[in-house]
Amino acid sequence: MRVNAALAFAVCLAPAAAIFQDDAYHIDFHYALLGYPKSEATFFHKPYAASKASLLYTVSENGTIGAINPKDGALVWRSDRGISGNGHLRAGEDQDMVISAVGNRIAAWSASDGRIVWEHSIDGAIAEDLEILEQEDGISNSDAKDAIVLVAHGSSGVKRLDGKTGRVKWTFDDTSGDIPFQTSSSPTTIYYISLHSPLLGGGSKIRVTSLSPITGKKLDSYTLSSEGEVYTKENILFAGANTAAPILAWTDKAHKVLKVNIIGTKGVSIFNTPTSESIESIILHAPRKVNSLPHFLAEYQTATGHSAEVYHVDLKTNAVSQAYKLPPLKGRGTFATSTTDANVYFTRITSDEVSVVASVTDGVLGKWAVNGSPSLTGAYPVHGVAEVVVKGNSASAIRSAALFSNGQWALIRNSEIAWNRPEFLSGTISAVWAQLPEEESLAQQLEEEHHQDVFSAYIHRVQRHLRDLEHFPAWLQNLPNRILGSVTGQSDSSTIEEIQHDTFGFHKLVISATEKGRLSALDVGSQGKIVWSIDLHQFAPGAAITRPSLKAFRGFVEVKDPSLTSPLFINSTTGSQVFSEQAHNQWLPSLDQETLVTYKLSEGELQGFLGTEPTTQPVWIFTPPPGEKIVRYTARPAKDPVASIGKVLGDRRVLYKYLNPNLVLVTAVAEAGRRASVYLVDSASGQLLHAASHYGVDVSRSIPSTFSENWFSYSLTLDSASKASRGHQLVVSELFESPLPDDRGPLGDSANSSTVLPTGEAAKPHVISQSFQIPEEISHMTVTQTRQGITSRELIVTLPSSNSIVGIPRGVIDPRRPVGRDATAQEQSEGLVKYAPMILFDPKWHLNHEYEVAGIKNVITSESGLESTSLVFAYGKDIFGTRVAPSFTFDVLGNGFNKKQMLLTVAALFVGVLFVAPLVRRKQINSLWTVPQ
Amino acid sequence: MRTSIFALAPLASAASAARFILHIPNTPLVNPSSLLSTTHATLQSSGAPLDSYITRSNSFNFNNVSVGSYLATIHSRDYAFEPLRIDVTLEEVVEGSGDQREKVAAWQTFIGNEWDNKGESRGEGGNGLVIEAQPRIPKVYYQERAGFSPLSFLKNPMILMGLFTLIMVFGMPYLMDNMDPETKAEFEEMQKKGVMGSGNTNTAQQIQNFDLASWMAGKTDTPPSGTSPAPQSQGKKRG
Repeated sequence: MRVNAALAFAVCLAPAAAIFQDDAYHIDFHYALLGYPKSEATFFHKPYAASKASLLYTVSENGTIGAINPKDGALVWRSDRGISGNGHLRAGEDQDMVISAVGNRIAAWSASDGRIVWEHSIDGAIAEDLEILEQEDGISNSDAKDAIVLVAHGSSGVKRLDGKTGRVKWTFDDTSGDIPFQTSSSPTTIYYISLHSPLLGGGSKIRVTSLSPITGKKLDSYTLSSEGEVYTKENILFAGANTAAPILAWTDKAHKVLKVNIIGTKGVSIFNTPTSESIESIILHAPRKVNSLPHFLAEYQTATGHSAEVYHVDLKTNAVSQAYKLPPLKGRGTFATSTTDANVYFTRITSDEVSVVASVTDGVLGKWAVNGSPSLTGAYPVHGVAEVVVKGNSASAIRSAALFSNGQWALIRNSEIAWNRPEFLSGTISAVWAQLPEEESLAQQLEEEHHQDVFSAYIHRVQRHLRDLEHFPAWLQNLPNRILGSVTGQSDSSTIEEIQHDTFGFHKLVISATEKGRLSALDVGSQGKIVWSIDLHQFAPGAAITRPSLKAFRGFVEVKDPSLTSPLFINSTTGSQVFSEQAHNQWLPSLDQETLVTYKLSEGELQGFLGTEPTTQPVWIFTPPPGEKIVRYTARPAKDPVASIGKVLGDRRVLYKYLNPNLVLVTAVAEAGRRASVYLVDSASGQLLHAASHYGVDVSRSIPSTFSENWFSYSLTLDSASKASRGHQLVVSELFESPLPDDRGPLGDSANSSTVLPTGEAAKPHVISQSFQIPEEISHMTVTQTRQGITSRELIVTLPSSNSIVGIPRGVIDPRRPVGRDATAQEQSEGLVKYAPMILFDPKWHLNHEYEVAGIKNVITSESGLESTSLVFAYGKDIFGTRVAPSFTFDVLGNGFNKKQMLLTVAALFVGVLFVAPLVRRKQINSLWTVPQ
Repeated sequence: MRTSIFALAPLASAASAARFILHIPNTPLVNPSSLLSTTHATLQSSGAPLDSYITRSNSFNFNNVSVGSYLATIHSRDYAFEPLRIDVTLEEVVEGSGDQREKVAAWQTFIGNEWDNKGESRGEGGNGLVIEAQPRIPKVYYQERAGFSPLSFLKNPMILMGLFTLIMVFGMPYLMDNMDPETKAEFEEMQKKGVMGSGNTNTAQQIQNFDLASWMAGKTDTPPSGTSPAPQSQGKKRG
């Protein structure tokens, strides 16, 4: 009841603009990403046995398990990001669940909706492999099928988990010290494959241990002499999982021979690989289905092309023979295996063609030329899965989901690219706003004019206008369409592409860099369209980019990474490299004009230096009290326009804001006393302006903070030792020059003041703080930005536990809210309401509305062309972008303005005038001619 | 010293690890089977919160919960749930026996209130306790766009006042005209007496200006108060 009342209260005091139903999904976009799918754990599977359509399941390189609708590429469900990247995912035939093993956590997920069926965690070890026990004593189990888990990195062994409950049925402990590699099952036996390293170095022997599926007892064990070839796990190509005849294949370092062993037998078949070109890698593709034909395909990748050979296994004689070869093709490609009943088909996917062959003979059943898509230009498929429909002797339809080398995960339906998911964007760790080329060039031109004398500037301007005239016919031609589109309300689709017509400045480019070293540009105004995307490694061969950081300059971005010796400069509109001299010519920080102070955190203290680069001689040092450790510092943004230097009170007096561009908020924590302290430091002088401490804080949780204008905020998690209240707190502090209205503090009217040479206590601000209890932890916070700073601001907080981004109106967190009494009429006129100790996040404040934005690391905001609107871009695991208008869109007609109705009203009035005009005229004439009585 | 504490910590937690289930019942408000798979519950005490996702049976399983007092929050995209306080304690089964068992107790709790301010109890028991978590209200993310509707237009007090004046100015003369002469006369008489219109002020004025002398003299005429009904005379002229 009280919760309801509080929520109702929160709704009452929320004047901020929420998202309109018709704006949602139009002004914002969301890439619900999984990450790069892993090849061995991606498959098509029916979510339940009677289902007609199958879903595409995968576990990604960051351990996220997800299901994709193969029709449109939409995410059906996904799990939380896994604890480790080493994930496995399997689905038993006709099962309504998929079983995953990520790190030490084994879980069964409901295949159709992603709910957990059971969970099991292994103590002190990590799951190395996972298999489903399809058959038991040759009989297919129709109930929940059991899972076989291979554990390693700690205690090694094999466990059998019950398919219904996840309980351990038996455990086989391996104490031999071998390196566990994989498990495989045949209808009667479970094979446990490990690498047995001899004491005296050299290669490893492959040891195969067979276990009883019922008891888990060891039945037999033998070793294969593979010392010459196998050194690490990577040398083993394949250990067949769940095929009728499980096979084990390995190769030597030079990829000269292919050795195949049928698990359960000791014989090794040796094949020579094609010798025409040196082979870079060999990949084996075999069907996973139990009752499929025991055929497999060996794919050979060379530097320039790829080829393949198909092998057949004779179950009676336990012999492996080569059936046929697939011709070598130039360029990269990949193969996928699919089964229909017992038949096995191999699909060859290259960047321009998809073809299907049956495993029995080498006749091509179907071939489709792939219509290229701009998002896949220059990329080749890395790995894929396919579903084939075969009628008679030809394949009538095919769909294959392939991961391309540029990080796009695409589905090729026959010859069309049905969809592509930009999975490379997952794991973005740095992003900056860049300006579009048109704006750039205009800005440059204007600057040029600015610096010339009046006459030549005028000529330049006329010339520029004449040049602009060439766009005029096209613009004129387009005008009727635009007007018509605007009236009928279908304007978006046509104008989104035309970034040139961006009158409102919503189309801003965001350049983002991922932890894999991929740099992309997204247009936030047009649903996050990827303008370009490049691999940074092409400009820096040999470097392994893992933590790129970006900085935007006019027309280009600077990329820095620990593995790069010198920063890279990338053109922000084309994605091509700009050489550093050129970059420096375009823009140089005007060092000689202003003195810069830079600061950095080193050895637990914050040090300020003169100049752009830290030198050995710090100008000032800020050291926290003993026992405290600086965890974070937040500076006021460099571009933070302030519309008014004071706050007008209800009685028309003014409280002057303390506006100092050099403010830095330092957060420090101390284990002892569970104390979190914030310090406000002037970065020009190093002077401490304000300090506050909080006790009973859980210092292991993050303390995000942000700074804008004359106020800052931070959020804390209260410790369990705190008796007063529990949960999370949001603290907001506002800085004023003086506690008294109409007073500018001790500085008074003095025209000049210096923070470097302060006169006594003069420069200290008057701080008003209020703290609020909030229901969820905040992981990151930032503030909206607008062009002039007239629009009221919104505090944008990221809530990791509910996967959302919330914009808290500034009025709600105003520290001047009256405490313990109702607001007076004057305070009400300022928009202040009575203080309430808690802020419940109103669903209408959620910027992400029904999207679930997972794993957000950072949110960046930018001004748009309109004063009312601020652009928001969030990145991390997912990508999300929107625009917010904290004081409503007062400077643009929204979708709520009915243009049709307006036109109809004008037309109706016109008709009315036509009718009334003669009447009025007659009356006027009559009044002139009648004699007044 | 510190290392010994750390060495003991896992032992202690292993010795006292409670397990319980948060379950979402089927209520008229929500069918819990329709909740998304991202619905999850967190237990927050110190350090990283314990996290559990919704299972097929509409519940959240918590295993290995060590002794402490926890704030349980259920995060769902579509519904807001009430926060709970869950305490895990060790209690002796029989006093003095030394045999300790985990005890789990759950209450309602209120954000922004003291931690000891507990609400209704939501269950109490040993290991395997099932605690019901109630969804409270659906989350509405969208704002309704105030479209044009004639009714809302009419509801505006300014418009209503304007309309009323319009009716009075134009409607009254016609009304007066259409009355039959008798009623009209009666009406006029009534207005003269001041029952209609600004009757109240009229009476007040009458009392104020009460002429005692003339009343004593037995005058029967109504006093000529300044409020002669002007619109009436206008209406007459027009007609």
